[in-house]
Amino acid sequence: MNSVNLDFAEELKEYSDDTAFECFNCGTCAAICPLVHDNFPRRMIRYIQVGAKEKILENSDELWRCLHCGLCTHTCPREADPGEIILGLKRFVLANWRKS
Amino acid sequence: MSEKNQNVGVYICYCGGNISDHVDVEEVRNRVEKMPGVALARTEMFMCSDPGQEMIIEDLKSGKIDRVVVASCAPSLHETTFRDAINRAGSNPFIYEHANIREQVSWVHHGDTATDKASVLIASATAKAKQLKPLDPIRVEAKKHTTIIGGGIAGIKAALDIAQTGIDVTLVEKSPILGGQLNNLDRLAPSGEKASEVLQELLDQVLNHKGITIHTDCKIQDVTGYVGNFSLDIVTKSDNKKLTIDTGAIVMATGSVSYMPFEGEYGFGRHEQVITLKDLIPILKENKSAGSVLKVNGKTIKNMVMIHCVGSRQIPGIHQPKENGQLNEYCSRTCCAAMLNVSNQIRENFPETGIYEMYRDIRTYGRGQEELYNQASKNKVIFMRYEADAQPEIIPSPKPDYPLQVKIKDSLTFNEEMEIPADLVVLATGIEPDDVSGLASMLKLPIGTDKFLLEVHPKLRPVEFPITGVFLAGTCQAPMDTGEACNAAGAAAVKASALLSKGYIELDPFVAEVDTDKCQGHGACVEACLKEGALELIEVNIEGKIHKKARVTAALCLGCGACAAVCPEKAIDINGWALKQYEDMVDAIVSDGFTV
Repeated sequence: MNSVNLDFAEELKEYSDDTAFECFNCGTCAAICPLVHDNFPRRMIRYIQVGAKEKILENSDELWRCLHCGLCTHTCPREADPGEIILGLKRFVLANWRKS
Repeated sequence: MSEKNQNVGVYICYCGGNISDHVDVEEVRNRVEKMPGVALARTEMFMCSDPGQEMIIEDLKSGKIDRVVVASCAPSLHETTFRDAINRAGSNPFIYEHANIREQVSWVHHGDTATDKASVLIASATAKAKQLKPLDPIRVEAKKHTTIIGGGIAGIKAALDIAQTGIDVTLVEKSPILGGQLNNLDRLAPSGEKASEVLQELLDQVLNHKGITIHTDCKIQDVTGYVGNFSLDIVTKSDNKKLTIDTGAIVMATGSVSYMPFEGEYGFGRHEQVITLKDLIPILKENKSAGSVLKVNGKTIKNMVMIHCVGSRQIPGIHQPKENGQLNEYCSRTCCAAMLNVSNQIRENFPETGIYEMYRDIRTYGRGQEELYNQASKNKVIFMRYEADAQPEIIPSPKPDYPLQVKIKDSLTFNEEMEIPADLVVLATGIEPDDVSGLASMLKLPIGTDKFLLEVHPKLRPVEFPITGVFLAGTCQAPMDTGEACNAAGAAAVKASALLSKGYIELDPFVAEVDTDKCQGHGACVEACLKEGALELIEVNIEGKIHKKARVTAALCLGCGACAAVCPEKAIDINGWALKQYEDMVDAIVSDGFTV
């Protein structure tokens, strides 16, 4: 069970543009990603939308598999800019590393 | 009834291949031509086309034929087309019989069997046609007045549209005020207009129209009569005043109510923070307070959860039926747009109030509704999706900052379980028809399994009841939004006006007729009759002696034939469906068409 953090989107603004809310969950980014499976980066973006902060921290190692090839950002139909979001999440995770 | 040798003309349609791809139409023509009584048999690519109709008209005018059989599609499509053609030829339109060789033959059979069955059906139609006699439509005087039952938006709109054609209208409403459900609404989806303004615009016209009489706060005690001549007994609830309305037609616009969740359904009735959308809308309407966060009953709403499909799209075995066993298996259609509309209002006026919408499917089907959905996304409404068998659960929050917590298995987050804190939970309750079973049984109106009133045909006759002269409009028929209810009301109004415009009505003459020479006055027919007032025994003076004879009131007779079945003298029969006609049809079928 994942308790949602309603202030997470606000908290994230310090590290990333809030383009995650442009995403409508089509999955194009996950389909095009050559490196990471299991719905990456779509799942991360969804976690931002609903406020699942803990899930992002739990699965943060996935973020470092991303090499920023830019294919997801290039193919995103909604200009959600998944590549930039992942970069922003890396900044967030670093700042929150071993905090709790 | 069998007169001299009738000359039947048989017209067989190719239906542009629809029939002729499977039925050897020319072979059928060859067979039919040789059948007794057939004067001529012709074929045509489309018999319903002008050349096809002209052919029939020419043959009638030249005197070659005096009975017509058309073998084509189902009579529901073109029976009236061909009756009109016969009328234009100067003949009686009831010397016509139809053989359905498309739906009943070419669409379901192939090859020789199709050709054989088509031949047999035409043979039986021909046998019947020979027995047909010219009939005259039943002419009924009609009062140029319509009664609308229900003063919601559909009833008001229908009243106005009918009155504008010069036909007087009486509008009957059970509650003390007009306007129905629109009184409870604020801004209408998807246009955002104020419901009160829409209503006021129509009410101003209705209240000032000389042709419209309004009775509020009353109930209907009895309805009698038939098309053109109905009579309604109404009584006012407050002072018990009785009134009779004589009217030519009736429009049912009895509307709907909002589904009431049972106690414990999504926490309803157990947590005060769980309310219905119907309850939230008046709160928003009254809420004049500015500020960046929504307040409901004085409490700050930091985050709210809205749950779709409550009391709609219920599934047997999953949802809890009502005490009477009823499940609302239909989609209420209006709630998705209504929810999104409210969500947008809240997010735009109170940006610090967060919204999670939990849906099964979003059905923004109508013009302008998808835009509401897009707008909600832009407004950062967060959507979560649940399956019917895994409904969100509302529990008290373990943390003090929010009173409630909503647990959902969210299929948009890969079926992960989520817990959403909430200050308020709003249920999008569906539409249920108002209970008008008493009225429906008085008028013998059909009710569907979903408890809504049932039209004759959802596409071909969408605002009519099988009881001639009674129409329906609005949400008594199905879930509709305001625009759709007004559409239906306009359609019903046109139908009612067209029916009454001449001051008389012509009905199909397929009703019972008594052969008074044969009738012995047994009265079995009167007992068997299903329609009160359609058949009665009267006393007749014949050469100084009083005899009892059955008498039909043609306008009331349903043409069901219950009387013909019980008469020991065979003295009563149904015009257009006489016993002798049936016998000859059966004879023709069992002998493959070559007899009689």
